[in-house]
Amino acid sequence: MERAFEIQKQVRDNAKTFQTYITDLQNWEAEMKRKEAALNGDFAQDLPPVRSKVKSEKPVQVKKPEKKIASSNYSAWEKFDVEKACEDIDMAEIGPVSLDSKKSQKEKQEKLREEAQYEKERGNAFVKQEKWDEAIKCYNRAIELVKDDAIYYANRGLCYLKKDSLHQAETDCTEALKLDPTYVKALQRRATARERLGSLRAASNDLNEVLKLEPNNIAAKKQLEAIKARMGTKGSKSKSSPTSESKLFKDILKPKVQPKIIELPDKPMKSQELSALEKWQSGLGEGITVMRPVKKPPHLRSKRALKSIPIQEIPLGKSSPEKLPTRMKIVEIEDNLGQGDTNNNDSNKLKNKSEETNSDIKVKGEGDTKLTSPESLKLITDSVVTEKEMCVHNLVPPVNSVQFMSVWKNLKGQGGVRSKYLSIIEPSKIPLIFENALESDVLSEILQILYEDKEKFREKSITAYLKGLCRVKRFSALAMFLSTNDKKLLNNLLEHCKTVEKCKEEEILDLKNKFEL
Amino acid sequence: MENQDTPQIITHIEHNLNHSLFDCKWIPCSAKFVVIGSLPKGSGTIEIFEITSGEIKKVKDIERPNSFKCATFGASNDVERRLATGDFKGTLEIWDLEKSCQVYITKEHTDIINSIDGMGGSTVSCGAPEIVTGSRDGTVKVWDPRQRGKPVANMQPVKGETKRDCWAVSFGNSYNDTERIVVAGYDNGDLKMFDLRTMSLRWECNLKNGVCSTEFDRKDIPMNKLVATTLEGKFHVFDVRTQNPSKGFAQVLDSSTKSGTVWVARHVPQNRDLFVSCAGNGQVSLWKYEYPEQRCRIDSQGVACGVPGKLRRLQRMVVSTQPINAWEWNRDHLGLAVATSYDQNVRVLITTKLNLQ
Repeated sequence: MERAFEIQKQVRDNAKTFQTYITDLQNWEAEMKRKEAALNGDFAQDLPPVRSKVKSEKPVQVKKPEKKIASSNYSAWEKFDVEKACEDIDMAEIGPVSLDSKKSQKEKQEKLREEAQYEKERGNAFVKQEKWDEAIKCYNRAIELVKDDAIYYANRGLCYLKKDSLHQAETDCTEALKLDPTYVKALQRRATARERLGSLRAASNDLNEVLKLEPNNIAAKKQLEAIKARMGTKGSKSKSSPTSESKLFKDILKPKVQPKIIELPDKPMKSQELSALEKWQSGLGEGITVMRPVKKPPHLRSKRALKSIPIQEIPLGKSSPEKLPTRMKIVEIEDNLGQGDTNNNDSNKLKNKSEETNSDIKVKGEGDTKLTSPESLKLITDSVVTEKEMCVHNLVPPVNSVQFMSVWKNLKGQGGVRSKYLSIIEPSKIPLIFENALESDVLSEILQILYEDKEKFREKSITAYLKGLCRVKRFSALAMFLSTNDKKLLNNLLEHCKTVEKCKEEEILDLKNKFEL
Repeated sequence: MENQDTPQIITHIEHNLNHSLFDCKWIPCSAKFVVIGSLPKGSGTIEIFEITSGEIKKVKDIERPNSFKCATFGASNDVERRLATGDFKGTLEIWDLEKSCQVYITKEHTDIINSIDGMGGSTVSCGAPEIVTGSRDGTVKVWDPRQRGKPVANMQPVKGETKRDCWAVSFGNSYNDTERIVVAGYDNGDLKMFDLRTMSLRWECNLKNGVCSTEFDRKDIPMNKLVATTLEGKFHVFDVRTQNPSKGFAQVLDSSTKSGTVWVARHVPQNRDLFVSCAGNGQVSLWKYEYPEQRCRIDSQGVACGVPGKLRRLQRMVVSTQPINAWEWNRDHLGLAVATSYDQNVRVLITTKLNLQ
C-alpha cells in the first residue's frame, strides 16, 4: 500500500519537475530569440595563425628583435635614441590592434547600448509594478553595460528613494548629474533625497537649479516652498532631526494633527500627576541623572571613535584586602546569625559578601574612621591569610560545580584553606559535584593541594579522592591534558597511597591507567 | 523503485520528416537547430527548425545535389554561426545560413565524409578555428576556414597499407593556442590519437569493433576522458589524463547494451561526467562516470598509470524504433537535446534533474 503511494508521489513529482522545466524552456526560448536578434554583424577575434603557415612565419618573427647593445659598448649607447625606442614600444602595444579593432569597437558599443536599453525597459516595467529590488537589478545590469548614461543612474536613484535608501539615492542622482548636469528629474530626486536626509539647504539648492532650468515646474516650486517653511520654523533643529516621511505626506498630515492636540486638555489630570512609572522613568526625586537613549539616524551620529572604559576585574574576596577586613568580618558574623544553620548555599553568601565589599570600596573614599570599632581596629592589622582562615569555619561542601568554582577561586593563593575546603568534600560526591564541568587547570590545582596537604586528607584518604576524580565525566579527555608536573605529583600521590594508605596493587594500577601514567 | 533524483528522459517534441536524417546541431545562441539529411532522390538538405512553446517550426531549408552526412558549428564563432558540412561525395562546405550560401567549398576527400568536428570558434585562446573531417578514403584532414582549398594537416595511411574507412573524428586537449589532439576511429576498430602540435601519432589501440563515434568530455581542457562507441553494443571510456608508455590509457568497457551498435555518445556540456549513449534499438542511456579514489598510481616500473573509474547508468529510455544516429545537447540550456534517428524523426528531448547529479 505504502509503495503504491510512493510510486504515485514519484509520478506526481516527476510531472511537476517536467512542468517547471517546460516553463523554463519557454522563457529560455524567448530569451534566446531576443539575444539572437541582438547579435548580428561582424565579430572580431584575435586568432592564432593558420597551422601550416606557422612554420614559415616563425623564422621571420625570430629575426625581428634587434641586436642588443652590450652594456660596455658606450659609443653605441651614446647614439641610442631613447625616446624613439620608447615610442616604438608604445606603438607596438597599441598601434596595430587599436587600428584594427576600431571598426568593430563601434559596433560592439552599439550592441551593448541595445542590451542596456533592454535592461532599462525591463527595469521601468518593474518600477511600474513597484518591484524596486528587481528594478534596481535591471538598472545595475544596464549600468554595467553602459556606464555613461545618466538615465540609468537617475532611475536607479528613484528606486533607492522609494526603498528609503536615501544615501544611495543621493549618490546615484549625483552620478547622473555628473553625466548630465541639466537632468531635471535627477535634480528633483536628489532634492527629495536630501530633504529627507535633513540637508535642507542642499535640497533647496537643487530645487533652485531645477527652477532655473524649468521656471514653470510647479512641483519643484511647491517643494521648495515647503523646505523654506521648514527651514524657517525649525531652523537649525531640522538638521538634527530629519523626518522620514516625505514632504507630501507631511502636508496632508499637518492639519489633521493640530485638532488632536487641542482635544488633549480633556484629560488634564494625567498630565499633571505623573504616574509612578513616569516618575521612575524621569528619575524624579531620586537625585540621579537619567541617561536617556539617544535616537539618531546613523548619519547624524558622532563620528568620533567610541571611548573605551577600562574595566577592572575585582575577584570576589581578593579585592584590596587592606580596605576590607573589618566589614568582611562583620558580614560574616551577621551571616551566621541571620541564616544560622538553614544550610543556605554558599554562593548566596558570597554574593552578599561581594556586595558588601563593593559598597565598602565606595565608603572607603569617605574615610576609614567611619568603620573603626575596637574590634575591627585590631583586625585591620591582621594579615589576609589569617583573616581568610577565619572563613574556613563557614565553608560548606558544594552541591554543584558552580559553587565549588566560586569558592575555589575565592580561596586562590591560600593553599591551607583550599585543602581544608577540599577535605570537607565527600570524595564519592566529586563526580556528582563536577558532572562534566571539571577543567584541566582546576584538576591540576586539586592535585597540587592533595600533594601539599596529605595530612588533611588522611581521614578520607587520597586514594578515595583520586578515584572520585577519575569518575568525573569526560575524565579521559582531562587526563590527556595533564602536564608533566601534574604527572609527577600523581606518581608521588600514588606512592603515598601505596605506602601510607596501604592501597591495593590493582587499585593503583587502575588509577595509573585512568590518569594515563 | 527509482530514486527521487533519477533524471527522466522525456521526448518533448517529435517531428516526422519524409527523408533520411544524418545529423542535427543546435545553432549557437538560439533556440534553433539544423537537421541535415538526404532526400529520396539523392539530393541533400539542410533544414533549420525553431522550437516555440512545444512545437517546432521550419524556418528555412537548403537543398543541394549531394547528400550531406555530417555537420558542425564548432569552428565558427557565436555571431557568424557558420555551419560546416561534409557530404557523400567528399565535399567540405561552410555555410552562411543567413544568406543560404557557401563561404567555403573544397573537395579534397575522394569519398564520403563520415564525420566532422570543429573547434576554436567560440572559445577564446583555445587555438585556431579548425575543422577535422574523417572520410571513407582513409584520410583524416584538418582544415582552417582561413586557408582555402588545402587542409592544414592530413593524416593518411602510408603507401601500401590498406586504407580503412574512418568513421569518427573529434578534437580535444585544446587548452591553449598550440595544443590540440584529433582522435579518429576506423571501421576495423582502430582508434588513433594524433597530436597536432607535434604532428605525430600519439597513441593507438584496437577496440575490436568498428568505432562509430568518439568524443572527449571537453575539448578545451587538458584531455580528461574520451568515449568511443563501437559496433556490437559496446563503448569504451578512457581516462586520458595519464598515459602509460606501455599500457596506454586506463579504460572502462561497457557491453551491457545488447542492441547492435552504439551509434553515438555525447557528454552533457554542463557536466562532463554525464553522457548519453544512443543504441541501435532506439534506446538512450544516461551514464555517469564515477572517478576512482585516485586517478593514477605508480606501477611496478615506477611509471604513472591511470586507474579506471566506474560507469553508472542513471536512466534509460527507448525513444525511437530505429537507431538514433545523432544527438546533441544544447550548450545554453541544461537537459535540452535534439536527436535524429533512422525512423525519419527529429526529436527534441528533455532530461530533467541533471543538475542533481
